[in-house]
Amino acid sequence: MTSVSGITDPQFEDPRLLPAAMSLRDVSVAFHGRVAVRDVTFDVPANRVTALIGPSGSGKTTLLRSLNRLHDLTKGASVSGTILLGDTDIYQGGIPTTVLRSRIGMVFQRPNPFPTMTIYENAVAGLRFNGVKKKSVLDAAAESALTSADLWDSVKQRLNAHAATLSGGEQQRLCIARALAVEPEVLLMDEPTSALDPISTKRIEELMVELKKRVTIVIVTHNMQQAARVSDLTAFLLMGEDRAGEQIEVSPTLKLFSAPEDQRTLDYIQGRFG
Amino acid sequence: MTVTIKDAEIREHLRERSVATLRRRTYISGVMTALCWLAITFAAVPLVAVIYQLLRRGIPVIVKSGFFTTLPQQPTIFDANNTGGVSNALVGSLAVIVYAALFAVPIGVLMGVYLAESTSKFASLLRIITATMVGAPSILMGLFAFEVVVQQMHVGFSIIAGSFGLAVLVLPVLATATEIAIRNVPSTYREAGLALGAKPSTTSLKIVLPAASTGIVSGIILALSRAVGETAPILLVIGGAYAIAWHPNQAASALPFQMFQDVQSNYPSLQNETWGIALVLVGAVFIISFAARLWAARKKKVQR
Ligand SMILES: Nc1ncnc2c1ncn2[C@@H]1O[C@H](COP(=O)(O)OP(=O)(O)O)[C@@H](O)[C@H]1O
Ligand SMILES: [Mg+2]
Repeated sequence: MTSVSGITDPQFEDPRLLPAAMSLRDVSVAFHGRVAVRDVTFDVPANRVTALIGPSGSGKTTLLRSLNRLHDLTKGASVSGTILLGDTDIYQGGIPTTVLRSRIGMVFQRPNPFPTMTIYENAVAGLRFNGVKKKSVLDAAAESALTSADLWDSVKQRLNAHAATLSGGEQQRLCIARALAVEPEVLLMDEPTSALDPISTKRIEELMVELKKRVTIVIVTHNMQQAARVSDLTAFLLMGEDRAGEQIEVSPTLKLFSAPEDQRTLDYIQGRFG
Repeated sequence: MTVTIKDAEIREHLRERSVATLRRRTYISGVMTALCWLAITFAAVPLVAVIYQLLRRGIPVIVKSGFFTTLPQQPTIFDANNTGGVSNALVGSLAVIVYAALFAVPIGVLMGVYLAESTSKFASLLRIITATMVGAPSILMGLFAFEVVVQQMHVGFSIIAGSFGLAVLVLPVLATATEIAIRNVPSTYREAGLALGAKPSTTSLKIVLPAASTGIVSGIILALSRAVGETAPILLVIGGAYAIAWHPNQAASALPFQMFQDVQSNYPSLQNETWGIALVLVGAVFIISFAARLWAARKKKVQR
């Protein structure tokens, strides 16, 4: 039992004391010289869910996309500071981006299964891109990933149907399966339920709690209830005076939502702005 | 709360003003609507007139027996209506467009992929050149084909020379259509591919290109169906022949070529035949583009 002020739950464990899957040190991202998010420093605890919350435009998506180097393709985008995956500096450490991205998966805000591919093809797409050809391996991976994404039972009879025939919630779970099939260590999720109905949302939230046994999750959400429900650690970002997102507070979720350290966090979770 | 006289006055004033504004807006809107209709009518009249004339003059020609299946004949003073058919021109047109497609489609699509994917200076330059060539007069392609294929390469008047002219004509159109189709693929698919650890080239080839394929194929079909009717690029180089020919090195006729010849003849019957040929060309474009649209719409539905 650790002592964190304001927490009385005897089961409480401080995620900040756990081994880090990723570490961010003074991470800033700028577009054409204009800083979008500045000086973010915190550790992402392994096998836990870390939530990034904050109002629209506070740089949550921007920060998340720096974690798998997705800004590399954006002209005029620059990332500074240090981001470690385990002990490897993902920008300076010489790790190829293709390898990095197969170790850090991503789920997007809107379900985006590949439109010309079937359910099966979507599930194994990442493996195929990485050179896996053997059918038995692909079949096993598809079943395992779809099962992990809580989708296998509803699609096993129609694996060769187009992904677009699935409902929105099923499509998003297919995208989760697609990411899981590559067996990443970290899964980045950018508001994965913002386009879904409450029932689909609930299923994905339950899924996250289940998944953290095998993968570290970083989720962007502007739904505070969601952050409170699924995450262990929460980072709160807020625009500063020059509209660049800044890290206001990174606390265990339980603490952040019950006894935040910063007045601005309290204002935000009580709905006073944003 | 009490309502003062002043408040009531202001309110009355505002109400009057808004009524006046509304009346003025209704009036302006009415005038604008009338102007729009006038413009549409002006635009539609010539179009409808062309189609009307095409059908009125063209249908009697194409229903004539042997129009599609016999070779052209020279009318004589004994039989001024003996015009024969357009079988050679039909085969020639098909041959010209097929060879042109074999050459232009792969190169045009690859060029479009390059234009869509590359951010280099060379790509920008190529984009400007392409845009210029889309707007260049088509006789230029004919001139170019004459210079290069007929003269410098010593191939002579031939189907392949015509194909070359048409290919150069449709190349920039195909490249542009492909570029647009690829750019219309939402970036989220590309990002999803990269986020799975795929190489950028794999992402382009396995995700973006298939997603753009419907648009690309529609673009190809529309460009080619229009190219069939193009006269200028083949006029100077195809040679003209009154026999059926499809070998690349043979001289041949083509539908627009025959129109050009017929319209210059002294016989009204031959001049009249041009309407039939025109109807065939327009009909082909209509049917092909209609089918292409239908196909694209169905394809979209399947993927939705
Ligand atoms: N590709 C880009 N180019 C330029 N500015 C960008 C780009 N992506 C994001 N931004 C800017 O970065 C800021 C943060 O955006 P974002 O990370 O999307 O916020 P959030 O996800 O918290 O709503 C915004 O001001 C946005 O305009
Ligand atoms: Mg966002």
